[in-house]
Amino acid sequence: MTNTLIAAIRRTNRIIALLVGLVLTGTVILIIAEIVLREVGISLGGAEEISGYVMAGVASWGMSYALTELAHVRIDLIRLRLQTRGRALLDLIAIVALAGVASLVAFQCWPVLEKTIERGSRANTTLETPLWIPQTIWLSGWVWFAVSACVLVILSLVLMMRRDFDQADALVGARSEVELET
Amino acid sequence: MIFAVTASLLGFLALSIPVGIVLFLLGIGVDQFFTPFPLLRGLGQVVWSSSNSSTLIAIPFFVLLGEILVRGGIAEKTYEALDKWFSWLPGGLIHANIGTATMFSATSGSSVATAATVATVAMPQAEKLGYDPKLFSGAIAAGGTLGIMIPPSINLIVYGFLTETSIPRLFLAGLVPGLVMAVAFMLVTVVLCKIKPSLGGQSRSFTWSERIGSLRHLIPILILFIAVIGSIYAGWATPTESAAIGVVIAMLIAAFNRGVSNDMIKMCLVGTVRITAMIMLVIIGAYFLNFTLTAAGMGRELKDLLTGLNFSPMGTLMVVVALYIVLGFFIETLSLMVATIPIIVPIMTGMGFDKVWFGILLIVLIEMALITPPVGLNLYVVQGARKSGRISEVMLGTIPFVLVMMAMIVGLIFLPQLALFLPDYL
Amino acid sequence: EELSVVGSWSSLPLYKQYENTFWTETLPADSNGDITVQMTTHDQMGIGGGDVFRLLSDGVFDVAMTVGDYAVGDAPELEGLDVPLVANTAAEAKAMVEAARPMVDDIFETRFNSKVLAIAPYPPQVVFCAGEVNSITDLKGKKVRGSGRMTTKFLEALGANGVNVAFSEVPGALERGVIDCAVTGAGSGYSAGWWEVSDHLMTIPLGGWDPVVTAMNLDKWNSLSAETQKFITDEITTKFEAPAWASAADALKNDVACLTGNGTCPAGDPANMTLVDVSDADVAQAKSILTETVLPEWAERAGDDWVARWNDSVGKTVGVTVPLN
Ligand code: NA
Ligand code: NA
Repeated sequence: MTNTLIAAIRRTNRIIALLVGLVLTGTVILIIAEIVLREVGISLGGAEEISGYVMAGVASWGMSYALTELAHVRIDLIRLRLQTRGRALLDLIAIVALAGVASLVAFQCWPVLEKTIERGSRANTTLETPLWIPQTIWLSGWVWFAVSACVLVILSLVLMMRRDFDQADALVGARSEVELET
Repeated sequence: MIFAVTASLLGFLALSIPVGIVLFLLGIGVDQFFTPFPLLRGLGQVVWSSSNSSTLIAIPFFVLLGEILVRGGIAEKTYEALDKWFSWLPGGLIHANIGTATMFSATSGSSVATAATVATVAMPQAEKLGYDPKLFSGAIAAGGTLGIMIPPSINLIVYGFLTETSIPRLFLAGLVPGLVMAVAFMLVTVVLCKIKPSLGGQSRSFTWSERIGSLRHLIPILILFIAVIGSIYAGWATPTESAAIGVVIAMLIAAFNRGVSNDMIKMCLVGTVRITAMIMLVIIGAYFLNFTLTAAGMGRELKDLLTGLNFSPMGTLMVVVALYIVLGFFIETLSLMVATIPIIVPIMTGMGFDKVWFGILLIVLIEMALITPPVGLNLYVVQGARKSGRISEVMLGTIPFVLVMMAMIVGLIFLPQLALFLPDYL
Repeated sequence: EELSVVGSWSSLPLYKQYENTFWTETLPADSNGDITVQMTTHDQMGIGGGDVFRLLSDGVFDVAMTVGDYAVGDAPELEGLDVPLVANTAAEAKAMVEAARPMVDDIFETRFNSKVLAIAPYPPQVVFCAGEVNSITDLKGKKVRGSGRMTTKFLEALGANGVNVAFSEVPGALERGVIDCAVTGAGSGYSAGWWEVSDHLMTIPLGGWDPVVTAMNLDKWNSLSAETQKFITDEITTKFEAPAWASAADALKNDVACLTGNGTCPAGDPANMTLVDVSDADVAQAKSILTETVLPEWAERAGDDWVARWNDSVGKTVGVTVPLN
């Protein structure tokens, strides 16, 4: 049960990451198109504005993938010196703190979208983008991050109560950046 | 307040809570204990406006560029070529590390991306050829920091944005100090390995025909550099847009080398998303902490501290340099810049220091912060690329390079033309 | 009473000379210490100009000031506070802002849950060009760095290309021919050395006056006693708003002298840009583009009710009527 859930959440986040990467690629193409058109005298405008929205979306929707890939940087000077149980305790503290902050951020981001909807806010640009569109995408990324983190808290609690410290370490332990490259 | 924040920072970090999350927690703490205003209500707006940024999108672009270079096989070829040119020097492959880092710095705007790229190709060699891990990995961590000094540079873009300084001028100003540091890194390696040969591996010699033959593997990086930097100075692209150009050129080169496949593209994309999210969590957290600290009056405390000293401009400069060295130990670099630049730079320019020059000086300090423990992102990136060994080895290995950076700071203070020559006379 | 105050751009004269002095020195001193102030600016806090009044509406801080144009994403009707080209002197701009004040008061109360305390101007946003221009219509076909949505829309209606370039990149962009002209305050253009890379100066306020609105969170305002409210209103009107306006007229004259070399330049060595004499006919033609295209588009964004109100107040003062659908 726990294993299938872990596998499922990892797989989902990987698919999300791939989609986010594709959007990023689309933005590269958009920017190149604007540069080329500008050189021949056609001014589209808007690529800069859109890349800002993309950045907000890439950041929020990428968070959960970085989480399940253990990529969020942790300073493990002390952790490395501890035994299995000590490490497990620190890992638990870390994931609980992360889940708490992620939930708080998701919760506090809602009023931003709420105001936008209330006022019908549009970007202060010539594009006049209705802001609810990028902000909905952005907010839902943070919500998914918070949900993923809370699920990891529960899963790691279950694993640690079962004294399955290896599995727990694989789920919420500390890895460094390049180690994950395959 | 400063003391309480610093102490909690260290405590939370020691607990190995993720760095970005620690910054959020500190922001929440400042809101709770040091100000009567409901700053937490601003959290969502700060998260939105810090990440809705067409400047920061240069980060994923540069990371993607590095991923394409590594997975398209270009990075490995570059490394091999530089090995042939530099490994006869005392210290052997360590010079290839520095050389590769320097070349990638000219195409990448991020130190973390540069260090990750070089570490991925170089680390397997260290174990195979029996290098002392300290100096070998230290050189990659330090060499990687050149990514933000040699143009393009995300940190210089951020500095230019925050201080309203021309980014192309800043880029020109960073070129000479960056190259001087690269050469100095190599010199210090030669000296150390002359004194204690066991620090390096064996020197290796290649024939001239091998060397000449390897030159063609440097062409891709040269093309990339010309495309990215050239497009800025030709007036075709903004610094951010040039990063997108770099991605496309890197992809074309990889395709030309038959290094592109479906799997390779997928790996590049998910790798980029992972690294970007990791960096962005730290940056967004840093924005929130800065927001709360500023609202709670840190700006005034810092300003009063600096102006209250009544030092001469040179004395104030010394205090500022010392401040950044100390803060650089503990604070992630982009957040350090966002939090301090709006306060420090007006004071410094008010005392007659040049804005472009101070930007370059600041970048050296930021480079140092990237490789000083306990919070030094490059240390962790390089350690991650190793299969064994302790992080303290990487930390020890960077010490000679930190000394070079300190020498660079002195050099910039007494010879501002190091930075200002190119932008002033081009 | 402790107030948390957020100023406009920390690097510009309005903040350095007026906002900071008024809030951190004048007001606390005149209140005999009853009012104390914690002052910072939005750029130091790392928040966008468009977020300032959003955060003010939540009471994240008590008082905030920023360019009204930054907030038009949340309140398109606020664009009417700063219509380009209709006010050519500081006195006309002041009349325009005063006529708009009741409207702005209502906008801030409903949109931003806040009470407007003052509206002060940045210097008029004038046009620097590299290469000869002799009239507004000469901008047709040129690449112009605008500021603000209505200015960009006006440039498009005129047949010019509105280009988005950061302030610090303008000199390089002018030099390399990436843009032909750029709009900013005359004083900012002088101190940033734009005169080194451009040669023609049009002192028409193509970018408007960028009025800076100072407002207080409404809950905070209502919690103050009537005396305190009156004290703050009187103080800010006489000791912040009035001197800021008074200096605006002189500032333009001095800045133009500095840029063209005609007259004395108190700020330093004068440059020798060519001052373009804009004819009345030229201005009239520009205004017709404004009334035929730009303002009707604004009416669609803001809604007829607000525009009718604008016609009756600001429109009457400046002699412009927006046709309603
Ligand atoms: Na670089
Ligand atoms: Na550090």
